[in-house]
Amino acid sequence: MADAKKPRAPFAPWDRRELPGLFSVEESARRVGAYKWCELKLFEALGGWIATVPELDVKMRLGAHCYKHAWHAELWHKRLPELREMNPDRLSVAPNEDMVSFIAALTEPEAPELTIEKLVGVYRVFIPHFISAYTFHLNNTSDITDAPTMRSLRFILQDEFEDWRDGEMLIQSLIETPAEVDRAAAHQARLEKILLAAGGITGSGTIGFNTLKHEGALA
Amino acid sequence: MRKFFPVEDLARDERFNQITMDDRMADQRTAITTDSRPSRAANRIVPSRGDASDAARGLMHGIFVGEIQALEGAGRTCWDFTTGEEAPFELKLDMARQCWDEARHVEISIKLSDWMGSEIGEYAENTVLFQAACSNDPVLRLAGVNRALEGLAIDVFTTMKEFGEVAGDQYLEFAEDWMLADEVTHVKMGSDWLRKITENDPERRKKALDFQSVVDKLFSYGGTRSESQESPIGLARRFRELAGFDDQEIDVIADLSLAALEERKAAVLEAQAAHN
Repeated sequence: MADAKKPRAPFAPWDRRELPGLFSVEESARRVGAYKWCELKLFEALGGWIATVPELDVKMRLGAHCYKHAWHAELWHKRLPELREMNPDRLSVAPNEDMVSFIAALTEPEAPELTIEKLVGVYRVFIPHFISAYTFHLNNTSDITDAPTMRSLRFILQDEFEDWRDGEMLIQSLIETPAEVDRAAAHQARLEKILLAAGGITGSGTIGFNTLKHEGALA
Repeated sequence: MRKFFPVEDLARDERFNQITMDDRMADQRTAITTDSRPSRAANRIVPSRGDASDAARGLMHGIFVGEIQALEGAGRTCWDFTTGEEAPFELKLDMARQCWDEARHVEISIKLSDWMGSEIGEYAENTVLFQAACSNDPVLRLAGVNRALEGLAIDVFTTMKEFGEVAGDQYLEFAEDWMLADEVTHVKMGSDWLRKITENDPERRKKALDFQSVVDKLFSYGGTRSESQESPIGLARRFRELAGFDDQEIDVIADLSLAALEERKAAVLEAQAAHN
């Protein structure tokens, strides 16, 4: 039994967490607001598409995934007041107009024969961009000051990876001809170009490139 | 993708055969029974009934397609209304949660149908549940779907759970009990949101409750669900209480259901007389 009075180092030798982080409180809140908006748009779309897809297995997966993204939106909604944004709706917005255009293009397919396009938009474009944005945030924020955001990011990333795998396997199982490969690729390219203009989930600098130095950030 | 999706466009594979309530009511077989005896004293789905297996399989298929439509309806509520303006963010979160629950119910129903020896598409799919989810007011959807139809689901799952219990089918009893827990949650969601959103809008609340009453009556068609043993499905008072119904509300549904049963019996006698 150790001596209860003996001083111990506040950080154990194996605890390598660092104080500096790339994001100020304001920048973190701005990103979290964009995450919430994007997750909201995604779960709304997944919910809407359920009635439009004839494939029973896809229908059920969309139902399960719809909830996961709603839960992510809820986590971000609850995080905003903790980042000094007492009116979460103020920051729950698209990062720019190109992102609005992306959502419009993503949710365009409705006909029952367009399941491939619906899934490609979500699982080959939108979710990979979520994974990038969340990973960048996780790897660059302060391990200590922003620990609550990191905890949510880890939970959410686990969902995103699982859903991406589910979705990709559904797409592969639905694509049966070279023409369908072309269809999937064309739709993916169209959406990627819009998202390129948007700069990613949180706009320019989503994954670091073109990131402006934000006031209060410690790099 | 459009806002507000018409019932006739619901996407299905080729195994499904969809019918509307009008189709069902126009079907002579549902009005004229070849059994010339008066109504059985007990129609409740119990293992001792001669046609219990087929009746249970048919009901299970009805649950299966009902769960698909409930999944689609909850999903559409996530999409059809603008967040914050037409439907609160938190309400949509609840609807998304319901999507996940209903998706699991579809999975459970498929497994149970297989267990009971039936196949997808073996029975027709009545699309009336989704029709109740097409209102342009989210409060009416909550009243019609969460309170009326999910309330019926509580009755159905209770009946099926008891069927499994009496038949010694633990597989069925286990799964129905889990689905029953979810349905109580969904009905409570409907009750809570209805009260919250219409707190200062009595007219809207009345409209929603009237709509619920219409759906309740529609689903009491033929006395399929009532407290009488003549109805195949019972009224699960205890679980309805847990879901936020008060005694008066349950009494109203009980009376409505019994009246529907009596109407049905009279109609059958009349049809038989005309047939003979």
